[in-house]
Amino acid sequence: MLQSHSFLWHYLWIAPQTLQAALAIFLWRRGLHKLFPVFVAYLSFGAIEQTTLYALDVLPSVTADTFWRAFWIGAILEGAIKFAVIGELFFHLLRSRPAIANLGRRLISGAGATFVLLAVAAAAYTPLVHRHSQVVPIFHAHILLQSSYVVDCGLVLFLFLFAAYFRLRWSHYAFGIALGLSIVWCEHLATWALSASGAWLDKSYLFDFVNMATQHLGVLVWFYYFLIPSKKTTTSTVALPENNLAIWNRELERLLQQ
Amino acid sequence: MNLAVFIVIAAVLALGIILRLAITQSLQTKRSAINGAIRPVDIDAFRNLIDPAEDDYLRRCLPSSQFRTVRRERLRAMAAYVQMIANNAGVLIRVGEAALATEDGRIAGAAQQLVNDSLLLRRNATVALARIYFALAWPNSGFAAVRVAERYEQLSGAAMLLGRLQNPAAAVRLAGIR
Repeated sequence: MLQSHSFLWHYLWIAPQTLQAALAIFLWRRGLHKLFPVFVAYLSFGAIEQTTLYALDVLPSVTADTFWRAFWIGAILEGAIKFAVIGELFFHLLRSRPAIANLGRRLISGAGATFVLLAVAAAAYTPLVHRHSQVVPIFHAHILLQSSYVVDCGLVLFLFLFAAYFRLRWSHYAFGIALGLSIVWCEHLATWALSASGAWLDKSYLFDFVNMATQHLGVLVWFYYFLIPSKKTTTSTVALPENNLAIWNRELERLLQQ
Repeated sequence: MNLAVFIVIAAVLALGIILRLAITQSLQTKRSAINGAIRPVDIDAFRNLIDPAEDDYLRRCLPSSQFRTVRRERLRAMAAYVQMIANNAGVLIRVGEAALATEDGRIAGAAQQLVNDSLLLRRNATVALARIYFALAWPNSGFAAVRVAERYEQLSGAAMLLGRLQNPAAAVRLAGIR
């Protein structure tokens, strides 16, 4: 065992993963994996990854080096899946709106490239607090996660801003997924940035508690949106307000003929 | 540490913005808000503002410095109109999206058309606004708002069609587009 932990620690590490696995199974049985295949993969991978890391943490025979190697591999794979989840959400947002699909794709590509550059710059300027060979890989892992969450957090913010600007209505499920991810990713960005900077080194376990608790909250948000059906909106006549559309059209025709 | 503090502040701000937008999205379905948000656009004034002949006339009659001042004033007014058109397009997107869930295929089709036209108009209005602000820096450069006007015309047609399908008994008129 790498460290001795409290009951709360064990609960917060295991409970969100158990719930995440349960949610993935629930989505699969309801056929929602066809609608959100990447999100289901994200849930499944996260549950497997964290359960593996938990096992590596509590097994006495596992060395710190092995644990951090597994942590690195998990972080890289999860990073790739998170990008795919953002792509999936964007696809759901634009699939019935061909009018802005091209513009949207260009904008999100530009935003992605910008956030990658910002993440690289932030990583380059993050000072290496400890130069001991055994600790350096841990700090590098923190910097990797900080970089990953700069991009994730930036892209999910872009999604919300894009939808708000064009007054796009999210589907109930996609909105729940995006909201849960936003809460988790923004909080993770803050804590990993603090970890990478070496802040409160002696109390770094607090960051782990906050991370795990937020993950728990995120999973509960997803459960809420997938278990509670969306409210039916009014689909009857939308009373369009009074005015003279014909005059506007006539004047425009005149304008275009000039 | 300074960088970490900066990133923490950015993360908190991002989450704050997202939560605010999420709450706004949840409250978006109120019909009264849809009705109240459309604002009238004075077509005569708008037509006058985007008329290149007016600009040419002013360029000939006024000294260069005075022309630039007048041109900037006109561009600011034009920006206000285009902003209003973009806002109206945003309202119509909501009207269309609210009607999309209907089981009536004709209404859903008309709503889809309205949403697409409104999105195009909003996109073009955004581009037009960027060009207007660019022209504000260089008042002598040319400017064309034809695409915005064109989209607005198509949008009006789509809105009329949706209105007719939803409420055939009443003569449908769209507030703010005149």
